Amino acid sequence: MLAQKGNRTTPKALALGLLAGLLGMQCAMAGDTSGTMRVGDMQYGNGLDLRGWTPMLYPADPDGTSYLHPGMLRTPTGALYPYPPMADAGRPLGQGDWTYAGLLQFGYLHVGGDRNAEYFRQYDDWKSGAVLGLFALDFNNRKTGSYVDFRGSRISGDDQFYRLRGGRYGSYRIEAFYRDMPHTVSTSAYPIWNGVGGTDLTLPAPLVAGASTPAQVAAASAATPRRSIGLTRTRAGLGYEGVLYRDWIGSASITNEKRTGTRLWGGSMFFNFPFPDNGGVLETVRPIDFRTTDINLSLRNVGKVWRFLATYNGSFFRNHKDHLNFESPFRLWNVVGTPQVADIKNGQFSLEPDNDYHNLRLDLSRELKGNGQFTVAGAWGTMRQNDALLAPTTCVGTGGIFIAPPVNYTFQCANWNTTAALSRKNANARIDTGLLDARVSFHPTAAFGWHAGLRWYREDDKTRYLAYNPLTGQYGYISENGSQGSVVPGETGIFDSRNPLYRSANVTVRNNPFGYTDTLFELGGDWQFGSKSSLGVVYTFDHNRPKYRERRRVDDQRIKFDWVSRDVIGATVRLSWEYARRDGDRYNYDPYEQFFSRSLPGFVVPANGIAVHTVADMRKYDLSNRTESKARVIITHPWGESATLSATFYGNRDRYDALIGRQNTQTTGATVQWDWQPTPATTVNAYLGAESSRMGISNVNDADGPDNGKALGTIGQTNPNLGGPLYPYANQWWELDRESNRNAGLSFSHDFGRVRLDGSYNYTGSFGHVGYSYATIGALAYRDPTAVAASGSGFPDNKYRTNTLDLGVNFTVNRSVGVRVFGRYETGAFSDWHYAGFDNTLSYDHRIYTDKGGQLHYSVSLVGVMLNLKL
Amino acid sequence: MRVISLFLAALLCVMLGAATMLLGSRDLQAQQAATSDPAATGNGHAPASGLSQSDIARMLPATDMGANAARQNNPHLASMGDSPATPFDGAPIPANPLAPNADAVGAKTCVACHAQENVQASHSLHVASFRAGAANTGPQAACESCHGPGSEHAKDPTAPGKIIAFTHDAKTSPQTQAGVCLSCHAGGARQHWIGSIHQNRGLSCTDCHNPMARLSPEGVLAKSSINEVCATCHQDIRAKFNRRSHMPLPEGQMACTDCHNPHGSITKPLLKTDTVNETCYTCHAEKRGPFLFEHAPVRQNCLNCHDVHGSNQQTLLVAPIPMLCQQCHTMTRHPNDLQGAAGLGTGPHPDERLMGRGCLSCHANIHGSNNPSGPKFHK
Repeated sequence: MLAQKGNRTTPKALALGLLAGLLGMQCAMAGDTSGTMRVGDMQYGNGLDLRGWTPMLYPADPDGTSYLHPGMLRTPTGALYPYPPMADAGRPLGQGDWTYAGLLQFGYLHVGGDRNAEYFRQYDDWKSGAVLGLFALDFNNRKTGSYVDFRGSRISGDDQFYRLRGGRYGSYRIEAFYRDMPHTVSTSAYPIWNGVGGTDLTLPAPLVAGASTPAQVAAASAATPRRSIGLTRTRAGLGYEGVLYRDWIGSASITNEKRTGTRLWGGSMFFNFPFPDNGGVLETVRPIDFRTTDINLSLRNVGKVWRFLATYNGSFFRNHKDHLNFESPFRLWNVVGTPQVADIKNGQFSLEPDNDYHNLRLDLSRELKGNGQFTVAGAWGTMRQNDALLAPTTCVGTGGIFIAPPVNYTFQCANWNTTAALSRKNANARIDTGLLDARVSFHPTAAFGWHAGLRWYREDDKTRYLAYNPLTGQYGYISENGSQGSVVPGETGIFDSRNPLYRSANVTVRNNPFGYTDTLFELGGDWQFGSKSSLGVVYTFDHNRPKYRERRRVDDQRIKFDWVSRDVIGATVRLSWEYARRDGDRYNYDPYEQFFSRSLPGFVVPANGIAVHTVADMRKYDLSNRTESKARVIITHPWGESATLSATFYGNRDRYDALIGRQNTQTTGATVQWDWQPTPATTVNAYLGAESSRMGISNVNDADGPDNGKALGTIGQTNPNLGGPLYPYANQWWELDRESNRNAGLSFSHDFGRVRLDGSYNYTGSFGHVGYSYATIGALAYRDPTAVAASGSGFPDNKYRTNTLDLGVNFTVNRSVGVRVFGRYETGAFSDWHYAGFDNTLSYDHRIYTDKGGQLHYSVSLVGVMLNLKL
Repeated sequence: MRVISLFLAALLCVMLGAATMLLGSRDLQAQQAATSDPAATGNGHAPASGLSQSDIARMLPATDMGANAARQNNPHLASMGDSPATPFDGAPIPANPLAPNADAVGAKTCVACHAQENVQASHSLHVASFRAGAANTGPQAACESCHGPGSEHAKDPTAPGKIIAFTHDAKTSPQTQAGVCLSCHAGGARQHWIGSIHQNRGLSCTDCHNPMARLSPEGVLAKSSINEVCATCHQDIRAKFNRRSHMPLPEGQMACTDCHNPHGSITKPLLKTDTVNETCYTCHAEKRGPFLFEHAPVRQNCLNCHDVHGSNQQTLLVAPIPMLCQQCHTMTRHPNDLQGAAGLGTGPHPDERLMGRGCLSCHANIHGSNNPSGPKFHK
């Protein structure tokens, strides 16, 4: 809904204003369109036809584009232009100046085999039944340059597009569209709850919230029918672009997207791994019920010297389901062993709040002497939301743990389960952004040019929230809806300086308004050597000042060389290499004190000190010192008159100066492609690609926790250093993710006259392996001999492999009628250790999962027949 | 390490820009005045051959891109000159630096040899619009609006450089080629072409576009779709979209240009908005927030965790969970254990930190929580 909420800007009012403005616009003359300025809706296609107009490409014009030379010309880089389709002059429409041309393709599609394979229908809603391949209808007025274009295609009600465009070349354009885009998340989901798709997940009988055994849950899961999880994006839009007055060109568009469906989600009722038959870890399903309205306005003036561009982008997101409540089947026990007084059996998530976004930007360019240009751009943006906050918990009765007087860790839910328990009722969250970008570039001679630029960007989070309960005078929150504090005494999430049990609890009491200011300076030059080669060098200095992070200053210096030659044994070669170094000021491993209760008056440091936030040698990879080098070579080689051989070689190496954290990444890859079009009737393409990548990290297990066999609060927990008693070297470990990807493809098309044959084969193979090593078994999560033996040195390999064969035959019946018969056969294999064992059961003690993951193997076929009618 | 102080850098940039603007202003105004003088433009300059425009008009066919022929063959077309002029009627003829003395000869002269080009080009959006202009008001420049004056080329058709050409082995430099296109298409989405990565790599407009034939449904592209055009050079990026998780580009629902503006941008890498995140928020508006409790790397840059072109992990993640999270989270107790195969669903100690969604099973609101009890994204 676009209805107004509070004092927020009303999308409906803006939309009406926009439409009124459109109707009032006077169509005059214009330049061209601003499509590549706006995000989204640049492509209309689907699985039947990726291009969205492939049937219009045939037959190819046997004369190509010229009688003066054989074959087709090439781009300046050297790639061949494809043969164009036969020009269709269209048919006259009545007695006027209009002509029309069009094509209608429709038919029947049959899907066989494993039609529900997840990766087969990830973004395609394949169904057996009638389909509209393409309906294209173009009207043109050769006299006035006016036109109307329509294109549409439909695989199903969730996978279709229709677009209407009209206008006058060079004067104005109006566009309207409607499209549905499917996204399948899982086709092997087994949620045990009732109410999937809504905001309240309830357990079906005989399961009882908070009172079911793992065996009962397992039985319920096994009996749950399979279902798919996914969503559909339904977008509709209206846009106009045209000249408003003389050289002033304006554009306006409004887009509305409705996103409905479900996605896999979580649900935590505290850990299960350290506490057998306790806690609760649930893979739930959340609803997707979004509506987003975008409004884009632009005004530009293009003169010979000055160019002006003003844009406004507004986006208004509305989530019709602001929460997810779920019942947990599992009973909770406190680890102390006293009688359980709490009855925590429900969980809750806040889902994304409504938000408004505005961005106003001005760009101004001026041509300068010396073949130069000066450009300055400034933008101001804001994103805001003021949703009503939910109460800290939904529990009723008593939460927490009662041990013995005066050791009473219980809390009364009534003091926390209403919004009266909040310091304020609404989020009142806001982030403002500012951008200033100035750059000059000159090419005083044909052989030399230089440019310089300065960019400043700031993101300022103005949100300030204090977690304070005026009902109790306590700070903090109720962790995991009360479950954590009902399992482990004192871990409720509350700080209370008046209560000895809570006065040393170090819990979050304020939000962290992250933000940053980034200033980037760039200076570059390029030299032309002869008419075929050039060399460029660019230096950039990126100065970032994060707020409330481990560093207050991060500097990234980068130098980049590029060399372009259009004649290396006839080929065009583009080579680039860059080297970068990042460093900054002192790394503070714990800058977060002010957001925790230890910063509040009355906080009492516990006898063993405050547990350290993290290991001091940790370096977060977005802030750590780093050296980086990248290289890339792109080669395009014209091969004879009718073929092109192109290749890419690339790689990057990153080294992070971190004992703990990300340590390195690297990627090396190559692609080779051969395109051949010996005649207008024949095209052949072959492709090979390979890439390997790796990423290494290090971490250290602490020696102070129940999972490490020691009680909480042992000596050493205040020492943050690697090699100290809390983070001993013996507990350090290393992990390496290695991935390799292989791609191959072959496609061909040949027109025999009345029959055209086309086909393609594509292979994708991705393999991943995560290996690890450790100093001693102290690093491991589990150290019993069985676990150590099972851990080995890595996880099982991950795999994603598809083979797809497409074949099609087109028969030409006469000039206006044709038939296309086509088929696809696809096989796939998938494995991911995250889902290991899920084929057998989704229930593991107090854990219940919903998604079994992608199918381990699948094979599926598509067969279709289409009738083509030329209109 | 700050080799150049920021203040000095800013000062240098501003001074250079301001000085050059001031110095260039006077000269440019003169240049602008000159270009506004028809006699000084390629369109209206005094012919080097000594012939007047009317002499040429008598000697050569009218430059109407075949509009008259179309009119003769089509009884539905009204006579010339009875409609308002279109924006293309006054299209200028660009100077060809390699043939500075060439004169305009008119489209019919061009078509005398380039007949097939005329057929195909006339059905492309680009030339059809020119043709509509010519149909209204009579002889106008058409071919030469892009290719420059053709007299030198007509005299010596095989000599390279005598005509502005846009294809491989053309003598015309990419800068001149782009200049021709930008004489009409400057500004707007192309406001930042100068200095863009594609300009610096020596790309010409016709590396991606071909206005001489209708090879694409729109955008007068050099291939049949945007994604095929981009993949001509960015093959490795295109291949990443074949991975397990990807955005719906291989399915034809999306184009590279949904996020990138290949004509230049002030946000690297050629993004359409002010930042990476703002580009992502355009479709993923629910992630925009702001949330009561933010997750630092999420708010800073979506690319910290996601590889938007394709990934072998779930939801475009750059590494498998929990490894992804354990790059930063070394806190005491549950985040820093080395999770091994023992914790898998098939292992002796099934562990929720590893199985299924891993960390996200509990920290589901990882993009930010709006719940008062959500500082750890549990709620």
